[in-house]
Amino acid sequence: MNAKGQKAPVLVIGAGIAGIEASLLLANSGRKVYLVEKTSYIGGNVIKLEEVFPSMECATCLITPKQEELLQNQNIELLRLSQVETVSGSFGDFTVKIKKKASYVDSANCIGCSACFDPCSVEVDNEFEERLAKRKAIYIPCTGALPSIPVIDTENCLRFKSHECQACQEACMFEAIDFNQQDEELQVKVGAIVVATGFKPFDAGEITQYGYKKFDNVYSGMEVERICASNGPTQGQILLKNGQQPKSVAIIHCVGREEKGYCSSVCCMASLKLSHFMKKKLHEVKITQFYSDLSIPGKAYQKFYEEVKESGVDFIRVTVAEVSQSGKGLSIKYKTEDGKESTLAVDMVILNPALEPAADSAKLAEILNIPQSEDGFFSEKEPDLTSVATAQDGIYIAGCAQGPKDIAETVAEAEAAAGRVLSLLR
Amino acid sequence: MAKKIGVYVCECGTNIAEKVDIDKVITAVSPLKDVEVVGKHKLPCSEAGKEAIKQSIEEHGVTHVVVAGCSPKQHELTFMNVCEQAGVNPYLFQLVNIREQCAWVTPNGEEATDKAIRQIKAAISRVRYHTALEKKEAECNPDVLVIGGGIAGVKTSQLLAAPDRKVYLVEKASSLGGKVRRFEKLFINMESGSALIEQELQSLQGNENIEVLTESEVEQVLGFLGNFEVKVVKKAEDKELNFNVGAVILATGFDLFDPKGLPQYGYGKLDDVYTSLEFEEMNISDGTTDGKILLKNGNPPESVAIIHCVGREERGYCSKVCCMYSLKFDRMLKSQLPAAKVSHFYSELCVPGKSYQKFYEDTKGMGARFIRSAKTEVTSNQKGLTVTYETETESKGDLVVDMAILLPAMETSSDAQKFAEMLNVPRDEKGFFVEEHQLLSPVASAMEGIFVVGCARGPQNVAESIVQAEAAAGKILSALVPGRKLELEVKTSEISETFCTGCKTCIDVCPYGAITFEERRRISVVNGVLCHGCGSCAAACPSGAAKLKHFTFPQLYQELEAVLR
Repeated sequence: MNAKGQKAPVLVIGAGIAGIEASLLLANSGRKVYLVEKTSYIGGNVIKLEEVFPSMECATCLITPKQEELLQNQNIELLRLSQVETVSGSFGDFTVKIKKKASYVDSANCIGCSACFDPCSVEVDNEFEERLAKRKAIYIPCTGALPSIPVIDTENCLRFKSHECQACQEACMFEAIDFNQQDEELQVKVGAIVVATGFKPFDAGEITQYGYKKFDNVYSGMEVERICASNGPTQGQILLKNGQQPKSVAIIHCVGREEKGYCSSVCCMASLKLSHFMKKKLHEVKITQFYSDLSIPGKAYQKFYEEVKESGVDFIRVTVAEVSQSGKGLSIKYKTEDGKESTLAVDMVILNPALEPAADSAKLAEILNIPQSEDGFFSEKEPDLTSVATAQDGIYIAGCAQGPKDIAETVAEAEAAAGRVLSLLR
Repeated sequence: MAKKIGVYVCECGTNIAEKVDIDKVITAVSPLKDVEVVGKHKLPCSEAGKEAIKQSIEEHGVTHVVVAGCSPKQHELTFMNVCEQAGVNPYLFQLVNIREQCAWVTPNGEEATDKAIRQIKAAISRVRYHTALEKKEAECNPDVLVIGGGIAGVKTSQLLAAPDRKVYLVEKASSLGGKVRRFEKLFINMESGSALIEQELQSLQGNENIEVLTESEVEQVLGFLGNFEVKVVKKAEDKELNFNVGAVILATGFDLFDPKGLPQYGYGKLDDVYTSLEFEEMNISDGTTDGKILLKNGNPPESVAIIHCVGREERGYCSKVCCMYSLKFDRMLKSQLPAAKVSHFYSELCVPGKSYQKFYEDTKGMGARFIRSAKTEVTSNQKGLTVTYETETESKGDLVVDMAILLPAMETSSDAQKFAEMLNVPRDEKGFFVEEHQLLSPVASAMEGIFVVGCARGPQNVAESIVQAEAAAGKILSALVPGRKLELEVKTSEISETFCTGCKTCIDVCPYGAITFEERRRISVVNGVLCHGCGSCAAACPSGAAKLKHFTFPQLYQELEAVLR
């Protein structure tokens, strides 16, 4: 508490499901929260998903109320397009420098009508859509993204390449586009920090045997999530490159497990979820899962597995699997535990890769002076006791930034980090 | 007092106006009964727009407000605030979504305009029946009752206790620490569980804000979030304690599935077949064997079989932690009996997360044998035990061992039933307590103010149990702030005493346990603190006694009638 009797504010890094939950609990207790998010949207990886396991609820429906609560909360200051630059001080008294990039769109005036997109003549790959769709240089990542205020991508915007274009500005009825906006340096004082920077999927292209990015119709799990998404590049239509629906699909588990040396905990369930979804959308599709060990821990997951299995999905335990092209389709050569080799022809292959820490974790670890595991996940102080406390007092970790985990575990950790802060930061 | 309705139509730049003919809308709704003023604005949600509406309300003495614009998700709150500032109760207001529901989705301009007119007419009809509602607050008690003194209960108590918040920690056994107290080692750092507990209990002892009640049973909990009345009986002293708390945490832990029900493992019949907890007990330094791993005949085992997934099929779930603690057992065996041969009979290896696979690989590297078996049986022979196994490809084998350790599934503790009934917290088909939301609210129960952590909500390891304990503390510290009142839902249900026939249908359908039956008057009563305003009771009530504020039948019927007219 400071001299005015106000409780110390808290910094939350990352506005995925963990960052949102931690921010809400902290803010609802009456604390000021600075929520720093490097992208232009909130919701992290969860909003890329069409449905979540095991309830098969729509992910957007699941998270939108939380997003709205966050955006309306007066105690939370959301800093989009922002990154933490330096942190000094100690528990109870941290000084944080944040770099906030200009969005060139005034959020006070913008109503999110998207009139500025059409006139923009630039078309580039949409990273949010796993590069399966295009976007403009002024854009929101997908329909329904929150906040629904676009940003200008200065790397591709013609105006920032010294052309005379102002098409978006002309199209805006609310004078929301401001090319003169500047990047800002902010300095805030906080008592504690919650790190919730999430994960990125392992790049399946690092392993050549799966033909990823080499053969058509070999997709990563996240690509398929977007293909299945009703607000995604195909509006949820599952199609092969030739425009036809796949008749047979192989899902390969544990892509990168051996390389990374750990089990990513959620991929078995994610694979089952995709099978469930595809079976519902494409009744006749034949799905085969190639796995090594089934990791479906806890009270609720095995039932889901049994349901998927009963719906006619095949499960083959393999020690090796390899994808090649055969004729117009794909062929999987695999070896079972007894050493037998077989092949299976399919139309589509889905690779479910390991989960890795978010790209800039190493830099952030250095800024915060907290240790990382050899794989780059932030390390907890006492692994057998709690996963949220780090070696630095007052700095807590939550969600996949600490290690691969599912949504429920992520939310629990976010709440636990908030619990630690609210208990210890008086 | 005469009703004077103000209707304000948003053009949303050209977002609405380019499809919906705003002037036609104004002409259509202006003559309607009680409509005092109709205005349009390019952007009512802007500062200038809000000010214009406020001025119009004041100038025309408007009593009820309709705004036709975007989704209520976006600006309902904005205009409710405008109403309040202009002196109109914010519930005497209705927002009509003519952007997302008309302009953006109806391609034909005339159709979109007609649709917008119908929706605005419906809102005008409805708003005339609105009544002023007031925000309410309730006093709340910040103290917490924690049921179960295992590691989860102890950890959550530590985080919660403060000079302005008392914690009552109730444990039925004579000492705190639960099962972890009897774990010689914890995976993966192989530190002592009992030492950990000792350390935690020491810090608990010095905390005057925690009242530890051992050998005590919670007999009754009545009430709701912020206001629970608790009765605890101290068995040893035969003394009854009564106190109030604002929240309750259930940390009642687990029991093991009883392998006696599965004769193929020989448990209870054959010597030297143990459950995992019995093996833990054998290893604890102050246990029955002083920490020595011994066979019934007093000799150390030369070979041990560890059998995974005992009861998994029967229970229908994977207990999540058994693979990992079996690897811990392997290491405990190896460190005490370096020559012992250890073989695991398993079905699926479950080593999720960033650090467990390495622990498995290192353990395997120390010489452990892993045999994938779809069907495993234990029988006796003259020298000891025979483990018969069948691989997935149906090749059979057997192995002679001195000792077999069974890893039974984890089940909810035996008193879960009692607490489920006492606290009205639902359980799933397996007996575990159900979360408020499986993903988004994992430690809260469906009953507001009652939380479930650790193995009471499903199999967890020690670290996960502690995280959940900390999570429940986080939820409580966020919601129950000492000195602050609880803000209550305004649009709650109410049950008319005159019309209630006492059939209790509403009690069955209420998902929040917000309705209780008053025996004296033979009627159902809604608790305004617990009611979320879902309307289930209003829909189900056969006598029309239950009604939901702001969604009353006259309001809904007027709206429907106007939209269909």
